[in-house]
Amino acid sequence: MDISILGGPILGIIPLGDIVLYFTPFNLFMFAAALAFTALIAISSTESQVEAEFGTLKNREVKVDKAEFKLRRFLAIVCGLATAGAMVTGDLFDFTLFVTLIGIVNIGIVAAVKEIDVLDAAFQYGLIAMIGTLPLFGGAALILASTGTISLLQIVQIPYTTSLMLFGSILFFLGVAGETGVAPFFATKAEMFRTPGSPFLLIIHLSSLLIIVRTIEILLIINKPF
Amino acid sequence: MNLMANILLNVTIAFLVGSILLGFQRKVMARIQMRPGPPIIQHLLHTFKFFLKESAFPKTAAMPFYIAITAMLCVIWVAAVIVGPVTEGSLLLFFAIYAIHKIVEHNAGSSSGSPYGKLSCVRAVFSAAAEVPLFAVLIIIYLKTGTMILSSIVTYQNQHGALLLSIPLAALMFFVLILSKSPYSPFSITKGKDIVSGYETEHLRGYLMFSESISWYMLLWIFLTVFIGGLNPVGYLIGMVIITAFVAFINALTPILNPNHSVMTQVTLAFIGIVGSVILLLY
Repeated sequence: MDISILGGPILGIIPLGDIVLYFTPFNLFMFAAALAFTALIAISSTESQVEAEFGTLKNREVKVDKAEFKLRRFLAIVCGLATAGAMVTGDLFDFTLFVTLIGIVNIGIVAAVKEIDVLDAAFQYGLIAMIGTLPLFGGAALILASTGTISLLQIVQIPYTTSLMLFGSILFFLGVAGETGVAPFFATKAEMFRTPGSPFLLIIHLSSLLIIVRTIEILLIINKPF
Repeated sequence: MNLMANILLNVTIAFLVGSILLGFQRKVMARIQMRPGPPIIQHLLHTFKFFLKESAFPKTAAMPFYIAITAMLCVIWVAAVIVGPVTEGSLLLFFAIYAIHKIVEHNAGSSSGSPYGKLSCVRAVFSAAAEVPLFAVLIIIYLKTGTMILSSIVTYQNQHGALLLSIPLAALMFFVLILSKSPYSPFSITKGKDIVSGYETEHLRGYLMFSESISWYMLLWIFLTVFIGGLNPVGYLIGMVIITAFVAFINALTPILNPNHSVMTQVTLAFIGIVGSVILLLY
């Protein structure tokens, strides 16, 4: 089996010492999508959230102040760039570092909001993300121990899957799920989206889903079909 | 055929056939509910009408993000046509396209500043947690066939028979996903009438309807290609009409579920589908 089977033919590689970035149509599409959304976030203003006022017939506009706007925009751009990097890296350890960076900046994007409910949600997500770090790095370490490499281009050439590789993959997936706050950990994360500041919230969802899609590619590279 | 001409032709077919199928779905639903219903070309006419109408932008919107998000929706479904009928590329790429579709759906809701759009956005996050696992049943196809390339999956089916028969639970899961994306579906919580159609209320409807038509065509195309395979254009058309009519029956007879029930039903079906399919593959 060849790595080109999964995401299409390899269009090119960029060797950076031990770290090799590779581009298939799949990786390139997600890389381009992450960069396009990041660029949009960088140039967009935030929404003004309209809320009904209790006891009157008036509406209330909730706006993001300038200091908060600058901080959240910076974190969102870092998150977008980390997501784009995670889409094309061919190195498992490099991928885990990108995922943890995404987890950290995602907490920061929401933690900058001065609302108790939102801060509570960010705190709970932070706890899950921190706990998720252990299986994430543990899984990657087990895959390294069982295959002797963290290069995906090397792992794809191994024709078999050992039980340790499978166990490492399960831990790795649990770690990614915790870091990105997807199901079954998504409940607190959905609360975070109620806060105003539309384009910055985009990157939280974008990074989670793209990382999950890329993780599926990585897991299919490690674990061979029946 | 020239690649650009091939893309244009396929995008046009996807848009026209998708629009007519969505109109057909409304017609079938109306007849079941003892109403005459709109003409079958109504969805197509609406799309053109919205392109010609004056555009208005809420002053609370996040600009230019608010405008770009609808263009992004069109781009990703045109990309899906290129990956599908034009080049018969990787299923994994479809998975990525679908994930970005969910992101766009979420952000279309949040970018307007409307409370209805915001609720639609929160529901999109919930539903992504259920729909993405449903889409991930495509992994079952990889485990069965050893490939993610569409042309190779069709070749596999020519030799071993339709995947619909060998991994029926995976086909059922994908059908639930198709059902989720159909208008008036029991799972269409992001566009529920209780939240005034969610993100669809304020956005540029022409672009949204254009994307909706192509996405409907593409989801049916993937289902027929991946689970039946090797069909000619007439076979595709008949298959699409049958699935659309079946979906219309379900939608006409089922109310929209509340968000919690919708997500839990989808997650349960995804769990049954994935575990059941793996057991079927092992034994």
